[in-house]
This record gives sequence, C-alpha cells and structure tokens, in this order.
Amino acid sequence: MSKSIFSKIICCCLILSVVQFAQAQKGKFDFSEEKNVYNQIADVPVLTKDGTQKLSVLYSRSPLIVALIFTRCTGICSPLLLNLSEQISHLHTDPKENFKVLVISFDPRDQFEDMARMAKQYARENDPNWIFAVTPQISELTSSLAFNPVWDEDRQQLDHEALLSGINTDGYVTKNLIGLRDQQAIYSLIKSINNEFILSYPLPGNNNFLSCFSYDPSTGKKSWSWGMFLLVLPAIIAAGIVTILVNQKKTLHHN
Amino acid sequence: MINLSLKRVTSVWIIAILVVFVITAIFGITMRFNQGGDIELSPVTFFSLMTAHGVTMVGIWSVAGMMAVNYLMARYVKVSTAVNVFALVLTVIGLVMLWTSTFVGYFHAGWTFLYPLPFFVAWESWATPLFLYSIAIFGIGWTVWTVAMLMQIYKKYSLAQSFAWQHFKRGYLVETPPFILITTVSLIGILICLITAVILLVLLFAEYYSNGTFTNDALLIKNLTYFFGHTIINEALYLGVATLYELFPEVSGRPKFKTTWYVALAWNCTLVFVLTAFFHHLYMDFVQPVGLQLVGQFASYFASLPSAAVTVFSIVILVYKNPIKWSLTNTLFFIGVIGWIIGGFGAVIDATISNNFVLHNTLWVPAHFHTYNAMGNVLFSLAFFYWVANEFAGTKVVPRSEKLRIGLLLIGGFGFVLMFYIAGAYSIPRRYSVYPDELALGRNLASYGGWFATIYVIAILLFLGEIVNKCLKVFSPRSSAAA
Ligand code: HEM
Repeated sequence: MSKSIFSKIICCCLILSVVQFAQAQKGKFDFSEEKNVYNQIADVPVLTKDGTQKLSVLYSRSPLIVALIFTRCTGICSPLLLNLSEQISHLHTDPKENFKVLVISFDPRDQFEDMARMAKQYARENDPNWIFAVTPQISELTSSLAFNPVWDEDRQQLDHEALLSGINTDGYVTKNLIGLRDQQAIYSLIKSINNEFILSYPLPGNNNFLSCFSYDPSTGKKSWSWGMFLLVLPAIIAAGIVTILVNQKKTLHHN
Repeated sequence: MINLSLKRVTSVWIIAILVVFVITAIFGITMRFNQGGDIELSPVTFFSLMTAHGVTMVGIWSVAGMMAVNYLMARYVKVSTAVNVFALVLTVIGLVMLWTSTFVGYFHAGWTFLYPLPFFVAWESWATPLFLYSIAIFGIGWTVWTVAMLMQIYKKYSLAQSFAWQHFKRGYLVETPPFILITTVSLIGILICLITAVILLVLLFAEYYSNGTFTNDALLIKNLTYFFGHTIINEALYLGVATLYELFPEVSGRPKFKTTWYVALAWNCTLVFVLTAFFHHLYMDFVQPVGLQLVGQFASYFASLPSAAVTVFSIVILVYKNPIKWSLTNTLFFIGVIGWIIGGFGAVIDATISNNFVLHNTLWVPAHFHTYNAMGNVLFSLAFFYWVANEFAGTKVVPRSEKLRIGLLLIGGFGFVLMFYIAGAYSIPRRYSVYPDELALGRNLASYGGWFATIYVIAILLFLGEIVNKCLKVFSPRSSAAA
C-alpha cells in the first residue's frame, strides 16, 4: 500500500517537472527583446587572440555588440554574422559611435582555434573591431543575457534564437535584437550602446484595441485607427448638445 | 437679473477660491524653497504637493472664470442659481477627495496624471481611484453648469448670433455683445474638454477595473489628457478675457466695447484653433504623425495671436489719449493683459517645434503658464472679485494700500516668473524635487523665486482681507431686507 502511494507521488512529481520543463521551454523562446535590458552582463573571463581577460576589460574600452554563436551551427549563426557584417559595412556611423563586435561561442565543444578559424572564414581575423572568443563560464554569460539555448539530441545542435545584445561601457544591456535585422535596427543598437537616445514604442497588443494608429508588419504600412476617432468625438458630441440647445430655444418660442 | 441668491453664491465662491488659492500658492512656495535647498521635503511630499497644487490651481481658476461670467451673464440672460450651487458643492467635494488622495494617500503622478503613471502605484492603492473619482466629480459639476449656461445663451441668441457671424455682413439687426461672443466660444471649448475628460476617465477606469484584459494606448491617452488639460486652462483664461471686455470700459468710464468683424473673426479663430493647439505637447512623441505636429505649431499661433491682438488693440484704442478713471479693477485688468501677452509670447516660442527641442520640459514651461495664469488670468478674476465685492458692499472707497498692493503684485509676480524663465533658458528641468550639483543655478533661482512668490502672496492677502469683508456683506440682514 505504502509502496503504491510512494510510486504515485514519484509519478506526480515527474509529471509536474515535465510540465514545468515544457513551460520553461515555452517561455525561453518568447522572442521578447525587452528581457534583461538594463541588466549587467556577467563579467566572465574570455579567451581572445590577445589571451585571457575579463569581459569588463573589453566593454570598458568600447561598447560591444555581442553575437552569440557556435561554430558547428548548421542554422542561423552564419546568416546572423553575415548579415551583421554586411549591415555594418553599409553604415555611415558617427565617429563617436564607436563599438566592437564580440563573437562568442556558447558551445562547450568550441575551442579558441575553432573561433579563430571562423574569424578567418569571415575575413575578420585582422579586423581590430571584431573579436572572436570563447569562455569557460558559458552558463553565467548566457543566463545574464537571458539567452537559453536548448540541446537537440536528434540534430546534435543547440537550438537558439539569433540574438545580438548591445552592451555599453558600464556593462549594461541597453538593447537586444532578435533575428536578422535591417540597417536601421543595427544603427539603433549602436546608438543605444553609446548611451544615445533611441526611439521605441510598443506595438498595440490584442488587449489594446483603441490605439491611435495601427501598423501592419507584413506590409510595413501605418494607418489611422479607432483611437483617433475618440479625439474628434468630443467635438461631435458638443456639436450635438449645442444643436439640441439651439433647437430647444425654437421649441420654447413655438410654445 | 442679478438677485440676492446669485450674489450670495458668488460671494461664497469668491471667498472659497481666494482662501484655497492662498493655501495652494503656499504649496508652490514650499516647493520652490525645497528646490532652492532652503527646506528639505521628502520627494513623495514634494510630488504630492506638486500634484495637489497643479490640479487645484487649474480647477479653481477655471471655476473662477465660470463663476464670473455666470454672474455677468445675468445682465443679458436668466441664469440658474440652483445649478451654480450644485457646481459649488461638487467642486468642494471634489477638492476634499483630491487633497485626501494626495496628502493622505500620497498620490503624486502630477497634475497631468499621465498614463501609465497612475497605475504604477507608489502610494496607497486606494489613492489612484480616489484621485480619478475626484476629477470625475469636478467634471460632472462643471459639465452640468456649462450646459446650463449655454442653454440660457441659446434661449436668447441664435447659433449664428452667439458666434457673431452677422458681424461679417453689413446692416445686421441684432448686435452680439463681445462678452456673449467670448463666453459662448469659451464655454463651448470647455464643454468639449470636459467631454474629453469623460472619455479619458472611462478609458482609465476600464483599464483599472479590467484586471489586465484591457490596456490603453499610451499615445491615445496622452492626446486625450492634453486635449483636456491644455484646452481647459486656456479656455479659463478666455473667460477672464470675457469679464475684461464687459467691465474694463465700464469701470474706466468709457463706452462699452463693440463687436466688430475683426473681433468676431478673432474669437471664431480661437474656438477652432485652441482645440488643436494641444498637439504641441506631443512634439517629442515620434509616433505621432508629423502632420499633427505641424497642426500643433500653427494652431498655437492662430489660437492665441488673433484674440490677443484684437484685445490689445481694443484696450489701446480705449486708453490712448482718453480720460480714464483708473481704479484697482481696471489696473488689475490692464496688468493681466500684460501678463497674458508676455506668457502667450513665451508659449508661442515654446510651441515652435525648433525651439521645443531645447525648451521641452525645462522650467520655461512653468514660466510661461505661470505668467499668463498668476499674472494674467488670476488678475482678471481678481479684478472681477474686487469690482463685485464693491458692488456688494455698495462702497467705492479707494483703499490706502492701493499702490502698495499693485507694487507688491508686480514685483512679486513678475520676479517669481522671471526666475522660472531664466532657469528655463539655462535648461534647468521642470518637476525636479531637488537640483543636483550640476544644476546649482536652478537652486539659487528657485530660492529667489520662492521669496518673490511670498511677496506676491502678501499682495493677494491684502486683497483677500478687503474682498472677503465686502463679500460677507451680502449675508447681512440689511441685504436681505433690501432684497
Ligand atoms: C504664488 C503662486 C504660485 C507658486 C509659488 C507656484 C509654484 C509652482 C511650482 C514651484 C511648481 C513646480 C515647478 C516645477 O515643475 O519644478 C508649479 C507647478 C505648477 N503650477 Fe504653480 N505656482 C503658483 C501659481 C500657480 C497658478 C496661479 C496656477 C494656475 C493655473 C499654477 C499652476 C501650476 C501647474 C499646472 C503646475 C504643474 C504641476 C505639474 O507639473 O504637475 N500655479 N507651481
């Protein structure tokens, strides 16, 4: 009897933990760029071609765009780096908006040699603005950036979002970009890590049906929305009231 | 007709407004001395004072204008004392609720209570709904009163006559007095902003009671908030101008002002443009279309310039080389016009987009609105209070402290706003409880500002004593017997 109760409890715990795990997984890929903004990146040791140093040494010299990749990636890592490199080459940034790109692996299998090979592939091995690195403290680094790769046993790959994190010279995450982004987005990332004001505005959600404008991401078009009508409604109601008052005078006269 | 009950309720309004004004001005002086480092308040106390000060000032000077035009309207049309009393009672209830929310509940989201601030509860949780209900109570009382006054106007005048449209043609039969024209234009504007307040409050309450199932759009709420807030304080000033048109020539011993085509045009412009000028509060909101930003800039010019120009022109014509009987009443009106013009000029500078990049949210903003309020609208209302108190007392005795009062008012009032202007020009930000070392200039200016404001309040107290005394006369048995 007591054995069966015990096994039931174990079963329940297992089910609960699976549910919790599933929920945690769901939460990991919410693609929100706001998570961890204004948190400090973990000050982990990083191995670069200049040897091992603390991450704070790098970001205190110039703000960083941190690209999290791994060299065995068969998915988004290459497109992410190629896109970043291309967008940056087209930017006409203000000279005071200085920054470096830190390409850092989150795969424990990667050695510095793998990263050096990667730098060569992208013809960035001698570019002082691109730093390729590995760290022995991957989990500290990734959790401080709210970046949660998941190991996929079947594909022998780490499943992850394409994340670029902007770090200012105090080590704070000022902005995240998820996915392959256009020049404007990359430019705003650079401005934000240089502590410049950047514009941001939340898109109306489903529980927000009275916005002034709506935006269709598929067409990129903005249009007036119902909320705008509320700005003319007071004048319409007042005109109605005045009309009633004016007519009321006539009725009184007729009486 | 002006009867005893109208006189009595007007007296109660005047006494209440003056007493509340002095208390609320003391809140302002306290804030200035805190910014100057002369006293030390906790940030919560500072921002609670700032919130109570802002809403109360806007509220009392809006109702002061309504009360004054309500009284003078009785010369032309019948007015309802019952509705007047109803508005008074709701205003008092609203004020008690407002001060409870700010001083007991520590609600301190500023007079604009800009969304989503009221919902980031940094005070007693009941203070947010209490604050919003206090605004609703004010809104109900004033909306009913406004509609009642418009109703009386439209019992006598047609729509076209109320806007003086017949003055655009020759040979009209009915003349619309400038007082009726300006009162109609302002009351319709007030009605529109009160309806806006209703929509705003409905949306805020919807979010408050929806438990997260409904969220407001920040841009929409900001548009609605400034539509209501910016417009009501401007319309309140125009009510003051209406009393000026009615009383200034009368107390100066000159013929009444007449409505001409340009006076009619200017005030019709004001009706339309004042309703869209509020867009200048959203210049920093990059998601607002550029077209609306331009509307904000040009509406700001066309709302204020024509009405100010015709008023100044009319007054200059009236006083230039003419024998004028100067008294405290027309002197106050005259200084009020100067304050209105200086404040309006400061506003137009700030409403110009290229300047707003520099002046936005600096003390330039309180500078201009304090000029046309403390040295404009307040003086228009004070002129009316002083005139009507003398009417109640039946005396025209010239007080000995006449020059002293005006001197203190001028030095105190303009000195107080000058400190705001200088600070604004040096980019000292507004709404700072204390200024950090980098903004040490702001500290000194705040301290001087506090002393100037104290001089201004002393002048107001000198008026208050005499006005309250005279207003109380309408409650004497002799007044009842005479009625
Ligand atoms: C002696 C008279 C007055 C004094 C000493 C005074 C003082 C102040 C001070 C120190 C502030 C805060 C400024 C800042 O942002 O740092 C303020 C804000 C304000 N005042 Fe006054 N003021 C006076 C009269 C008036 C009058 C007559 C009005 C009429 C409408 C008024 C309306 C306001 C408003 C709306 C605010 C903005 C509150 C906010 O930002 O939430 N004040 N005043």
